[in-house]
Amino acid sequence: MELREFFDIDAVSLDVRGETKDDILKELIALLKLDDKSEGILFKMLKRRENLGSTGIGRGIAIPHCRSLVVNKLRVAFGRRADGVEYNAIDNQPVHNFFLIVAPPLEVSNQYLPVLGKLAQFAKDPEITRRLAELNSPEEFLSLLEEKAK
Amino acid sequence: MHPQLELLLQIQDLKAQRRELSESGGGRALEEQEFNIDLDEAVTQLDARIEELKQELPPQVRSRVERFVETGGRPVVSVINGICYGCFTAVSTSSVADISRNDALNYCENCGRFLYVIPG
Ligand SMILES: [Zn+2]
Repeated sequence: MELREFFDIDAVSLDVRGETKDDILKELIALLKLDDKSEGILFKMLKRRENLGSTGIGRGIAIPHCRSLVVNKLRVAFGRRADGVEYNAIDNQPVHNFFLIVAPPLEVSNQYLPVLGKLAQFAKDPEITRRLAELNSPEEFLSLLEEKAK
Repeated sequence: MHPQLELLLQIQDLKAQRRELSESGGGRALEEQEFNIDLDEAVTQLDARIEELKQELPPQVRSRVERFVETGGRPVVSVINGICYGCFTAVSTSSVADISRNDALNYCENCGRFLYVIPG
């Protein structure tokens, strides 16, 4: 199982504009192209998860995640914002890179936790912050995932 | 979407999260180690929120929910390709058409769970 296979190029944005945590979450959700009602439910769930403790895991990276009935399979998105946003991250640093992960409550293939774990590992790579900052296109983002899987 | 169905979805999603944090499994360890979550506090917070949302449901809907909770089952399930994902039987074709906009509160004739059709 490789991270690359879960990312759809349309769900990668290197130009996220939101100025607050809430705006960013909404932008990330929009990348999944769900209907309005589902987007609203997902936003509430992600906010509730953030209320339990920030998913900003340090070094400018956040991994908002939750399970929800509004999706029928694992969905992921990536957003980057040149200027970091205040996210209550563990290291109190602004966040630039956002990985969104959503999965249904019951998955036949049980991919959610492995993908979440892999992303958390990916985020710990010492050069990852620099590499993400240097990306020029969504294609380069996907290539970076492939490269790091090797 | 029917407002009570939306409440039910939220309750169910919160329960899925609670289950992940309280059961021994990958999720619990991941949340604690990678995201520094205080598990006990998180479960308490989720329980309070679930209870709050339940109180917004009318009594007859709430009692149907409780019935499933008592038996450890999920009160709301998705319908995918016409199949109820609670009991894995086909939901009658006429009801699938009726419920596809999720604008009424419907339940499976076979298992009694509330049904949610994932749009798109
Ligand atoms: Zn059923």
